[in-house]
Amino acid sequence: MTPAELEIVWLTLRVGVLSVAMSLVPGVLLGWLLARWNSPLRALVQGLIMLPLVLPPVVTGYLLLKVFGVRGPVGMAFDAMFGERIAFTTAACVIAASVVGFPLMVESIRLSILGVDRRLEQVSRSLGRGRLGTFARVTLPLALPGIVGGSVLSFARSLGEFGATIILAGDIEGETRTIPIAVYGALNSVDGEAAALRLVLVSIAVSLMSLLAAFAVMRRQRSQMA
Amino acid sequence: MSIVELQIRHDFGRFALDVKASSEGPVLGIFGPSGSGKSTILNAIAGFMHPQHAHLSIRTRTVCRTPGGTVVPPHRREVGYVTQDALLFPHLGVRGNLAFSPRCLGLDSLGGKRILEVLRLGPLLERPVQELSGGEKQRVALGRALLSQPQLLLLDEPMSALDARLAREVLALLLEIKRTLQIPMLLVSHEESEMAALADDCILLENGRVVAQGPPLQILARPGRLGGFDNILRLEVARHEAERGITWLALPGQQQLAMPLATAAVGQAVSVGIHADEIILCRQRPDGLSARNAVRCLVDSVSEAGTDSLVRLKVGEVRLFVHVTHAAVEELGLKPEGDVVAIIKSNSVVRLQV
Repeated sequence: MTPAELEIVWLTLRVGVLSVAMSLVPGVLLGWLLARWNSPLRALVQGLIMLPLVLPPVVTGYLLLKVFGVRGPVGMAFDAMFGERIAFTTAACVIAASVVGFPLMVESIRLSILGVDRRLEQVSRSLGRGRLGTFARVTLPLALPGIVGGSVLSFARSLGEFGATIILAGDIEGETRTIPIAVYGALNSVDGEAAALRLVLVSIAVSLMSLLAAFAVMRRQRSQMA
Repeated sequence: MSIVELQIRHDFGRFALDVKASSEGPVLGIFGPSGSGKSTILNAIAGFMHPQHAHLSIRTRTVCRTPGGTVVPPHRREVGYVTQDALLFPHLGVRGNLAFSPRCLGLDSLGGKRILEVLRLGPLLERPVQELSGGEKQRVALGRALLSQPQLLLLDEPMSALDARLAREVLALLLEIKRTLQIPMLLVSHEESEMAALADDCILLENGRVVAQGPPLQILARPGRLGGFDNILRLEVARHEAERGITWLALPGQQQLAMPLATAAVGQAVSVGIHADEIILCRQRPDGLSARNAVRCLVDSVSEAGTDSLVRLKVGEVRLFVHVTHAAVEELGLKPEGDVVAIIKSNSVVRLQV
């Protein structure tokens, strides 16, 4: 692999890790809310969160551009505060990857929190732990397999993110050119097929490894709980 | 002092709970068929559900007054909550479970050690909870609740998931807790023997309403209610007679009770069960008796129900329940404070252990 290709792989991994890091706290909170909140509004919130899973990624990217672009409200506010733009930077790649991977993370966390016996939480309350203490000491550790699994799924999803990224972040070498974008670019250039193939193989390897890691973690957690 | 005061009205749609009761315990039993609202009462006291109309006090402290009044959150109610499935935290070991409460007595403190000793938790401390047997799990759950220094122990069918032998052992432990740690308890159960052995006061619940309250025997002995049950005793080993295969247990008033040779040190407390049907009553100690035990007792009470009578005997603070026919009650002239001798074969005294 050439140094430029290595840089592409490195950028892709960084974007994946950062997008998971960014989604983790809101993902856990929303997963918990959707699992434990009994309200007619719940379905609506759940639907909104799930939307990026079924929307064409290009549409998601377009909507994100409307918000984070130089003329979008968040983009303008950011520019006014820091004198920088968000769109067409690595940050834009992270945002696109986060939004697209978010439904996978939230759903996995929601399911694992649903699987936590509420009576264990009640016992914790009666033993003197408040809501927050119970969440931190009972709910969270017991939902950990789902949180780890959801994180890895969201990470793996970010590795393949193309549609929303190309709209919001474009194709800038060293800044927004992740593996899928580089593969697309290489296939469109005259003699890029060999480079594309190398990146495809790396992509397969990284994705497969992260999925295997997720399964291993989930299996270990499950056997500990059993 | 009342251990608990209950006023609950809650409409669940297909079922309405309307309960008013108070008790000085120290152990209040809530007895009734399944679906009568027993567990709902415990959940309301623990703070897991808020009844539409309620006034609940635990040892004179109001914890819930609805609508519109104080509702103390569950973690400030200071109750210990133990259910039939021990509900141990699977991600923590035995020690982590026991020390979970922020109110937990130190496991090394005097009080903490005493609880560990009564429940024999010392050898289990470093074990993962997945490796515990059903009885061990229930012991840990009881220890966890007791170590959190509760004002009231809520027991929701604590023995119903265990087989008969383990259930009797846990019952013996609860008796020991009652005697040594003196924590008031609220026991939900549909087992007569558990109620009779443990409760001092009893509420009979049917379809969400209190239909009777009083001493357990009076409540349990209502027509059609009486079932066969065991006596559970916790007694100290007085001496062994290895050559005759007998262990003697100490009873109050210098009396002793023979049982098959047991591996236990002299002075150690052991739990034994005696079935109420296996005790014979006589007016005087008979001659030439094959049974080893002829225990002098006083009659505490006689309750009639259906075709049988249930006689409660006392030997010091030890209570023994005996099933006899109405005819026998008349013939022997059994009445409260009368003398009687209880004949028990040593083989009928069964050791209970986990």
